[in-house]
Amino acid sequence: MQQLLDGFATALTPTHLLFAAIGVLLGTAIGVLPGIGPAMAVALLLPITYGMEPTGAFIMFAGIYYGGMFGGSTTSILLNTPGESAAVVTAIEGNPMARRGRGAQALAAAAIGHFTGGIIGTLLIVLLAPFVAKHAVDIGAPDFFAIMVLAFIAVTSVLGSSRVRGVASLLIGLTIGLVGLDEMTGQQRLTFGSLHLADGIDVVVVAVALFAVGEALWVAAHLRRKAFSPIPVGRPWLSRADLRRTWKPWLRGPVIGFPFGAIPAGGAEIPTFLSYVTEKRLSSNKDEWGKGAIEGVAGPESTASASAAGTLVTMLTLGLPTTATAAVMLAAFQQYGIQPGPLLFQRESGLVWALIASLFIGLTLLLVLNLPLAPLWAKLLRIPRPYLYAGILFFASVGAYAVNADVFDLLVMFVIGLLGLAMRRYGLPILPAIIGVILGPAAEQQMRRALQLSDGSLTGLVNTPLSIAVYVVILVILFFPLVKRVAGRRTPPTPLPEREKVDA
Amino acid sequence: MNAWLKERSELGVCAVLLVLGVLVLTDALRIPTDFAQRGPVGPKAVPIVVGTLLLIVAVLLARDVLRGGRGEAEGGEDIDLTAPADLRTVLLLCGAFLANAALIGVVGFPISGAVLFWGAAYALGSRSLVRDAWIAAGLSIATFLVFNNLLGVPLPGGPLMEVF
Amino acid sequence: MQVKTWLAVAGALAAVLLVPPLLTPGADSAETTQVRQLRVLVPNAPGGGYDITARTAAKAMEDAELIRNAEVFNLPGAGGTVGLGRTVSERGNGKLVMSMGLGVVGSVYTNKSPSSLLDTTPIAKLIEEPDIVVVGKDSKYTSLRQLVDDWKANPGAVPVGGGSSPGGPDHLAPMLMAKAIGLEPKSVNYVQFDGGGELLASVLGGKVAFGVSGVGEYRDQIQAGTVRVLAVTSAARISGIDAPTLSESGVDVKFSNWRGVVAPPGISSADRDRLVQLFSALHKTSQWGDALKRNGWTDAFAPGDQFKSFLEEENKRVATVLKDLGLA
Repeated sequence: MQQLLDGFATALTPTHLLFAAIGVLLGTAIGVLPGIGPAMAVALLLPITYGMEPTGAFIMFAGIYYGGMFGGSTTSILLNTPGESAAVVTAIEGNPMARRGRGAQALAAAAIGHFTGGIIGTLLIVLLAPFVAKHAVDIGAPDFFAIMVLAFIAVTSVLGSSRVRGVASLLIGLTIGLVGLDEMTGQQRLTFGSLHLADGIDVVVVAVALFAVGEALWVAAHLRRKAFSPIPVGRPWLSRADLRRTWKPWLRGPVIGFPFGAIPAGGAEIPTFLSYVTEKRLSSNKDEWGKGAIEGVAGPESTASASAAGTLVTMLTLGLPTTATAAVMLAAFQQYGIQPGPLLFQRESGLVWALIASLFIGLTLLLVLNLPLAPLWAKLLRIPRPYLYAGILFFASVGAYAVNADVFDLLVMFVIGLLGLAMRRYGLPILPAIIGVILGPAAEQQMRRALQLSDGSLTGLVNTPLSIAVYVVILVILFFPLVKRVAGRRTPPTPLPEREKVDA
Repeated sequence: MNAWLKERSELGVCAVLLVLGVLVLTDALRIPTDFAQRGPVGPKAVPIVVGTLLLIVAVLLARDVLRGGRGEAEGGEDIDLTAPADLRTVLLLCGAFLANAALIGVVGFPISGAVLFWGAAYALGSRSLVRDAWIAAGLSIATFLVFNNLLGVPLPGGPLMEVF
Repeated sequence: MQVKTWLAVAGALAAVLLVPPLLTPGADSAETTQVRQLRVLVPNAPGGGYDITARTAAKAMEDAELIRNAEVFNLPGAGGTVGLGRTVSERGNGKLVMSMGLGVVGSVYTNKSPSSLLDTTPIAKLIEEPDIVVVGKDSKYTSLRQLVDDWKANPGAVPVGGGSSPGGPDHLAPMLMAKAIGLEPKSVNYVQFDGGGELLASVLGGKVAFGVSGVGEYRDQIQAGTVRVLAVTSAARISGIDAPTLSESGVDVKFSNWRGVVAPPGISSADRDRLVQLFSALHKTSQWGDALKRNGWTDAFAPGDQFKSFLEEENKRVATVLKDLGLA
């Protein structure tokens, strides 16, 4: 504790505060740019810190890191173009909110979610770092696969009103996820010999294409020609009702996000999705989902931020980068001759605690700087519709092109955008497709890795306590409705409130 | 016959799913097996499952459509579903997008990006061509300068890049 | 009205044509003996091995005032072959080099890349990084011999973890080891992880029987005693690591991951000499020496033609291994 206080003493000097503020601003500004996720933002800004002393440099990084992540959600909410994979889920509820004039609230919910998730996550770093460092490595392929199975079960709750169409969408996503070199054996799948497809199609590209490009085309097909009223901006702050709905998702986020961030190969995509599904299930405003439910922004954002904090635990204590951003941060550490790992806390304890203190400060600055900006950002949507959609297409194209400077990526985006148009026309929900792209490759890899480790024996899938526990949870979820129905028979039959929507 | 098909144009989705399924399956079967592989599940297994499911879902969806099921077109603030689909706008918009892709390597990003924005705004009904042109140029130049000059993410600058 | 529209469009067009070049610092004239400007293509993502090498080299060059402006950019994809394709297509461009290494040699085969490293103009090999055979501290193996005995008895039950995809260094090393002890490479149970970090977790958690990885990422763990090194793959022992070489343990393999730079094909011999000179000068700077020490890299400088023949040999060696595995 004393060490943390010393850390704050170091981080709270005016110079360091200034560095943190610059970091947050730069991180947000660059994170907002298309095609530049937090990893790229940190890599691009790395040279700025050359020649700074390590403490100052890392304080700035902490700002850039959280700022970059937050910038990604801003575009996700306002323009339906997620800047990074952790912000993909945010677009699902965040963008409809913005369209209904609640952009400021969505941004505020995201900002506070980021703050809460990050603060709790960082607290957990302080409290749990040694524990996590010890146990994170026990999580292996069978456990991951069990969690993926759970996630696939959860997909059923986002299939929409028509099961068959939802499943079709999921399969389209899985097919897109198959594209690329098979990671385990290096065999080409659906690449048609093109090197550009060998690494697969990035989930951010798929999300931007399906969300933004698909939507622009669909709007073009049925543009409301008359009565162009600008999107109302509404009142800038969260109302009491909003707060009542969001405080639980904010607090639940870290519970899901932090462990995922801390375990190797955890990442932020799957926990944000799980958070979305959890909030949807727990929400009392079910009919609002898909049209802009604020819980769907608050939960995933808090989860993403906490997962980012979790990532730092494994990076600092094990020297294990579990995300691209962490890998860049690791490289930054090495630039200063500092090797994160089991000895870091002993060797550089002053620096580590200053870094942790600066995470708290960075998050607070992020909130302080961005909350007042939320209504201003939301005003962006008042520009006339032709400019708005032209801007979205422009933005999406720059993002797709800037990463690899390759026209091919624009064509991939166009084709998937057309797919998004067709899916909108024929009522195929978009979300299952995105989930398919995220879950498919990860699930396949973990399953095959687990089976390889057990040399082909099927017991390799269930040979850890965690995996068994997860499967038990799955069985409970699957059979609970059945049990309830059987139990329900004994009581006098209650009239069904209303015939359920007929599925396919 | 035409009207019947038009009413059931969703069968096109079934066709796409069917083609996709066949594509995934043929691609999976093409993967050679004479390379080092450990474990019972190889690179073929998942594509075969996904491909087969695609075929099944294509058939199920076709059955649903023929029995009168219809996918609900997605609504939205800017969307007027009562109006018939406006193919011209969609094609113009596609044109603007593809023009960017085609031009970017030839004349550089500042021009192609401006063409994309200007074309898209035109397609979506903006008719103040003068203002659009200036907005498009400004946006494109600003983006180029931020990426290329400030951040060092290279974008093609255009034919005059080498002249100065 | 019509005229005004056309004027505006023409004005906008002129602006997009003229403003970017005017505001972008121009390229130097080519006729100096020194390279003033250099673009370094990194064929993998920020934070990867080639990226760190390139950025470190660029910074050392600038600090030592060998060069005014070295711009590092990433073009990731397909194990580096997308970047390789770009480099090969920039025929004659004397101001571009690509940071690369052993991994790209293998990727050319596994990705069935149309362009080969033999098409490029080799400039210099810069560094080497030996691999280590590593187990967690709770592993039952304390020497390589025990491991090899178990491995020979039942290769399937001894999963090997590596941080690179098939064709990469961590994959090639165990395959070469298997061949040396008489195991069929195809029988090796190689489990691929996303980079040395994820592999480390599996080694620490005892998920794999042993791991093969670059030494750099593990130094701290070795020092802390959380992992045990059974052997190093290089020809000689590494200072600071208490482990025998493979040959000393009866496995006749000498293997090191290496990184270097290549230039596009068809550049003029003057350009080529300038680039070779630039990297030779870099090699002599104290900044580069410090960077080597800091990153735990072994100096393995080999300029121009030396690098060329080395590249050809490595290419052959990799091709043989991958053919055995049905991957080339």
